[in-house]
Amino acid sequence: MISESTNLASKNTPKRTVPLTQLQRGQSGRVQIDSVANDEIKMLRAMGLRPDASITMCRHGEPCIVSLSGVCGGGCRIGLAKEIAGRVLVSIDQ
Amino acid sequence: MTTGAEPAIAHPGRTIAFVGNPNVGKTTLFNRIAGIRAKTSNFPGTTQDARIAHLENSTLIDLPGVYSLELDVSESVVCRQVLAGALAPAGEQAHVPDAILVVLDSTNLLRNLSIAAEAIAHRLPTVVALNMSDLAARRSIQIDAAHLADCLGCTVIACSAHTGEGVHQVTEALTNATVPTRSVPTENHELDRWVDEIYATVATAGTNPSDRFERITDRLDHAFTHPVLGVALFTLIMTGLFWVIFRFAAIPMDMIDGLFGSLGDWVAGVMPAGALSDLLVNGVIAGVGGTVIFLPQICLLFFLIALLEATGYLARAAFVIDRLLRPFGLSGHAFVPLLSSHACAIPGIMAARAVPDRRDRLATIMAAPFMSCTARIPVYVLLTQILFPKQPGMQALAFTACYVIGALAGLGTSLLIRRTILRGKSRPMALELPSYRIPDFKAAFRLMLDRATVFLKKAGTLIVAISIILWWLGAYPGSPPTQQAQDLRTQAAFSSSSTEIENLYTQAEAIDARNSSANSFLGQIGSSVQPVFEPLGYDRKLTIGVLASFAAREVFVSTMAVQVVGSEDVDDDSVLASIANAKRDDGAPIFSAATSWSLLVFYILASLCLPTLVVTAKETGGWKWAMLQLGWMSFVAYVGAFAAFQIVTMVGG
Repeated sequence: MISESTNLASKNTPKRTVPLTQLQRGQSGRVQIDSVANDEIKMLRAMGLRPDASITMCRHGEPCIVSLSGVCGGGCRIGLAKEIAGRVLVSIDQ
Repeated sequence: MTTGAEPAIAHPGRTIAFVGNPNVGKTTLFNRIAGIRAKTSNFPGTTQDARIAHLENSTLIDLPGVYSLELDVSESVVCRQVLAGALAPAGEQAHVPDAILVVLDSTNLLRNLSIAAEAIAHRLPTVVALNMSDLAARRSIQIDAAHLADCLGCTVIACSAHTGEGVHQVTEALTNATVPTRSVPTENHELDRWVDEIYATVATAGTNPSDRFERITDRLDHAFTHPVLGVALFTLIMTGLFWVIFRFAAIPMDMIDGLFGSLGDWVAGVMPAGALSDLLVNGVIAGVGGTVIFLPQICLLFFLIALLEATGYLARAAFVIDRLLRPFGLSGHAFVPLLSSHACAIPGIMAARAVPDRRDRLATIMAAPFMSCTARIPVYVLLTQILFPKQPGMQALAFTACYVIGALAGLGTSLLIRRTILRGKSRPMALELPSYRIPDFKAAFRLMLDRATVFLKKAGTLIVAISIILWWLGAYPGSPPTQQAQDLRTQAAFSSSSTEIENLYTQAEAIDARNSSANSFLGQIGSSVQPVFEPLGYDRKLTIGVLASFAAREVFVSTMAVQVVGSEDVDDDSVLASIANAKRDDGAPIFSAATSWSLLVFYILASLCLPTLVVTAKETGGWKWAMLQLGWMSFVAYVGAFAAFQIVTMVGG
């Protein structure tokens, strides 16, 4: 359901797409979510994890905590079960 | 509530729906506008609540907080139906709202703009409130409200429900609300681009927004969700919570008990003795008293949990517990309901509303009544004393075992139904972790009042009705004084010693009470049902005790007391001793070791609480799950008690 969509992240710098769980603490990336959505993806989208949204890893492991860094002030943190985090792909700068 | 917050919403009969994401202060704003006129109402046929307020010329409805109006979760469905005019809170007429107030979090505008777009798409008069503007200012976030109003085509007001700033302007804007002049894209990609473009033009962040705040949040999150430290902190916090509940609920509980006791005595004294007085005292007052006595625990529990939730901690704790409960097919959300059930299953099952996934919620509701509630304690005390007289160490061990057996049965039940009728794993959690905040005591108090009212109104009416029926079954058809009792009374009339007279009268009354209890409808049912309980080792008297506790298990001790002693005063040690030494009709002791173990296991596992079944039916939206709960718990209890009886008998108990 979640694909490595490249068209969304076609910026100048080369990108690499990895599962969210591989982000280092403090590292940021951009969410890649397919438009064909199941309930889980719809919920994540609504919570702010939508395509191209910039997120920052705050805590690794179970749960994995990310901050929606596109949101200034850092008011929005989302905790994700590792199982879900492993299914969310993010593109990061090489 | 505060000056300047009084609404002046014109247009008689206008209905205004409040829409917004969770954790944006929507309900705080609603309470700020509606004040004490707000009440909680439910949506018929759902487990969703709404706060509703009738002001002079308008009706405000606070819809459930949702991340999107388009999701397939019950909160979103309710919002969609209300906005389409297909659903209204209980007692209201369903019609399309006259206006929408979209509440957005200024500190999190990027995400919040999506729901504004979804609301605008409904083409109803709309006002957007940029809430938490004070917090945004503190975090150097600036939002150009005028420009945002241009982009959205509707009025945008910056406000803070917390301080009251701008709230008056919101209510004024609502009186003049118009249909947005701009349309919004509905397709996902276009919508995302639309949101990004608007956000880029209206919001500017400070150069270094609240680094310190981020660091503190990071550290707290790390500690609270840590696999070891997180569990330790959690245990500590929950122990504190329950200590407070057990310590302080006992005071009002005793008062309520005393109050209803005096009320009963007063009614019995004022009214002429007879069926009506008996019905009022032993049926209505005892029934209402037996229900209301749970109220302090329910209030305190919901108040403290609301406070804890408002701090932002509970969202973190849910992840800690998720790890422990997942193997049993339950999610971390199930924790508060299950722990609450150790006080009383009723608030526990009501707390299961917080479990978002329907299957997870049903599994939680099915597991909850297996937790050892406080009403089981009197029975545990009686039976552990009978099993281990003068051995406090063994009594404590047996007591703990009761709690463990109950919890394991609950988890096992969940495991089983997640493999059969509710097949599937519990939904992995994705949860917003709200900012840490100082809790709002007033809001927690309001929530507590709401829950208390719901409990009293809904469960109360049915519990009272059933109490009356059980009273009637236990008191009728009645039987005339027995010859044996009459002989004792005659004997007393000729006695000269006052203590002897008293003794003889007490004995005579005990005999009559026993006889009346045996001849009552309940007693007759007991005699005919007894063969069913024979394999568990229960005689006729125990069977009556078990049947009488169908509505409330704590009745068991007093029912047994009535049968063996003829008095309900079971605080007296000698009464407990009388129960312990009670004989069957054939002269053998009722409480043999095997029977006691069997009875103990039965009371740990059986569904002996009518209010719980009523609440299960209410919360699951029908009697199907309540009946399944009753059937399953009775089955498990019967099999468990049978096994206990046979095993103890075999090893020579």
